[in-house]
Amino acid sequence: MRTNLPMIVAEELSCDWNKVNVVQADLDAKYGEQLTGGSLSTRTSYTDLRKAGAAAREMLVSAAAGAWQVERTACRAENSAVSHAPTKRALTYGQLAERASAILPPADPPLKNPADFKLIGKPTRRTDTPQKVNGSATFGLDVRVPGMLFASVERSPVYGGVPRSFNADEVKSAAPVRAVLELKSAHLTHQFGETSGPGSRNYSCAGVAVVADSTWAAFEARKRLKVEWNEPAAASETTASLREQMHRFASAPGAVIRSDGDFERAHAAADKRIEAVYEVPFLAHATMEPVNCTAHVRGDSCELWAPTQIPGAARASVASALGIPRENVKVHVTLIGGGFGRRLIQDYAVEAALISRDAGAPVQVVWSREDDIRHDFYRPAACHILEAGLDSRGQLISWRHRGSSPSIETFYSGTGISPSAAAQVDSLDFPALFVPHFRLEFTVAESGMPLGYWRSVDSSGNQFALSSFFDEAAHAAGRDPLEFLLAAFGPARRISLRNNETFDVGRRRAVVELAAEKSGWHKALARGGGRGIAASFGWGSYVAHVAEITCQAKTGAIRIDRVVCAVDCGTAINPLGVKAQMEGAINFGLAATLKSAITVERGRIQQSNFHDYEVLRMSEAPPVVEVYIVPSTEPPGGCGEAGVPSVAPAVGNAIFAATGKRVRRLPIRPADLA
Amino acid sequence: MAITFTLNGKAQTVDVSPDMPLLWVLRDTLNMTGTKFGCGMALCGACTVHMNGEATRSCITPISSVSGKRITTIEGLSADGSHPVQKAWIEEDVPQCGYCQSGQIMSAVALLRKKPKPTDADIDDAMSGNICRCGTYQRIRKAIHRAAGSPAQKA
Repeated sequence: MRTNLPMIVAEELSCDWNKVNVVQADLDAKYGEQLTGGSLSTRTSYTDLRKAGAAAREMLVSAAAGAWQVERTACRAENSAVSHAPTKRALTYGQLAERASAILPPADPPLKNPADFKLIGKPTRRTDTPQKVNGSATFGLDVRVPGMLFASVERSPVYGGVPRSFNADEVKSAAPVRAVLELKSAHLTHQFGETSGPGSRNYSCAGVAVVADSTWAAFEARKRLKVEWNEPAAASETTASLREQMHRFASAPGAVIRSDGDFERAHAAADKRIEAVYEVPFLAHATMEPVNCTAHVRGDSCELWAPTQIPGAARASVASALGIPRENVKVHVTLIGGGFGRRLIQDYAVEAALISRDAGAPVQVVWSREDDIRHDFYRPAACHILEAGLDSRGQLISWRHRGSSPSIETFYSGTGISPSAAAQVDSLDFPALFVPHFRLEFTVAESGMPLGYWRSVDSSGNQFALSSFFDEAAHAAGRDPLEFLLAAFGPARRISLRNNETFDVGRRRAVVELAAEKSGWHKALARGGGRGIAASFGWGSYVAHVAEITCQAKTGAIRIDRVVCAVDCGTAINPLGVKAQMEGAINFGLAATLKSAITVERGRIQQSNFHDYEVLRMSEAPPVVEVYIVPSTEPPGGCGEAGVPSVAPAVGNAIFAATGKRVRRLPIRPADLA
Repeated sequence: MAITFTLNGKAQTVDVSPDMPLLWVLRDTLNMTGTKFGCGMALCGACTVHMNGEATRSCITPISSVSGKRITTIEGLSADGSHPVQKAWIEEDVPQCGYCQSGQIMSAVALLRKKPKPTDADIDDAMSGNICRCGTYQRIRKAIHRAAGSPAQKA
């Protein structure tokens, strides 16, 4: 975002890109939401930023024309300067800026013809790389302010619990400890800013904060803390109990989210029927920079230095927790060492503010990795029961998806929302548009676990189930999965989805065909190898993956040899950035496919660090990753999340092709395949 | 207790508890925040520095064991970002969020010192202790080959 958003402005402003310096703004109403999430930044800013750049350009041209007393139309803005060819005069933007600032900004400045773009669409390196390779980049954890203290918090092992007693005096007695404070739980705002309704469960954790002169002193002192906790209701939850509940719910009729045709009748008349149960676990965000925040409360005002994806929500949550006006909260946005949706939640900002207030000093609250894994807001676990029917020609004629999982929307918005809003499903309902008799039902599962948006949200787990089961249908029909997919899509056309988005089947076909072509879909692979294909749509972008894997017959060990990604994200502002997001999403998706799971016993998260919450490492990353961007002049689609959902099913489908074994649970374990 | 060592070429003395990890001496005592905290258990590599030229996880290195040693941090690789590995990282547009990259670079520099033309298997061995959640592994591999002056090798 620090590269492609400035590129949009600089394009219309006709800047010399080498002279552009990008500076992070503090939270300021004049800049709008300043949200980085939901794959929204480019999509929602594109036109506004172009207009802003164009308006400034027009003002600079007017300033030059005024200074030279010449016609505006004879002046040309280019490379951070305005020139007048007839008289061979030129002035830099710097020279013109003051004069230009007195001119009224035009309401509707002319925008460049995309054919004339010099920056947009050109591969451009990130603006912030130099500081990230020399140690000078300031992340949240790197914030240093005079007189600051550091806090480490012992949080309730079960979400929603509170401390009954703790040995404050004993811990406080050691020199570097400044305070031992109870930290009360606070109700957070909805992460996108709306108020959380009744029944919402989005609270920061209650705990005991140990405040000391240094991070390490706080960590060490906390080891001497002994806290007695109550046992909230969530203490009865286990992975097994939730799994059983979701399976039970998905085995029975749920709230009908969509119904086309007559599933019951068509399915009963099908020539061949298949059924499967798919499951995915809770997942942690596990950003490389553990959660943290720095706050300085002075009277009824608060200054925050926050690695946050949504500074407005940080301000709102902190203002509410402290009982002060929002205007009194100043937010500096630091670099973030990984978001993935974790930093949309503002618990860390509230913690820092409460502790700073009670400690009477600036405080940085630092989460250990254990805190980060154990007190995350997790991607919900889910169970999907799928049934499909094929006719005698091997065409898909009926499909029913019954899903069950805890609901993120209910967690943040409350229990008053509609079943449709609560359902953990996306807008496409694949393969709804391609099957005449389709039914989608969902039942929200009860869980005491904290929930959050995790890169690609509902699609992160759903697409594994849907695209894998679709592949099962292809094999049941005795047809090539690629051919089956394209046949199901049908001809190029545009379809309106139930959320008013438009789904373009032609663009969908194109990414699938491109991924297949580039992967050499019909070429033979070496013994033990298999190829799988899957596609997804979301945030205005179309993505397809082909995964090539090798499976060791004896051990069941999987090696991901190659992943080919085709993406149509509309106008690609910065192709290098799009490539980076797709590559990163492949590795991120593979971690969830092969390595990661959060489990629960007695309401307590069982994992704590990277030895038991495993993620992808260099030796497991596919050596060959190829990204192909479909050239397009359509409006820009989001790229932050779109590359994740079809990774897991592409791998699962490749495993089936290689071994004849169908993976229906993530993460994939070699023991399942040996 | 006063402990003296060489830090990025200069003599440095700190007076801290002997069991304080080097990571926190760097970050909190000396305000050098280029070396990062990621896990505290030598599982993620974010805290990697060089101790007498060897890649070392500073989060589990007590400062007492640093006495008399030569420590190099990310800040000490070059005065102006001109180290070949830093330049390769920029050429290949490696970092995304960037948080893991100090550790990645320090591990890569140590690898290249031992193996000036590393194979992909050498890279796997040396770099698998450094986690990247943004998934820049393929670019890290390419940048290491670039810094080694060899073309990227196919698997």
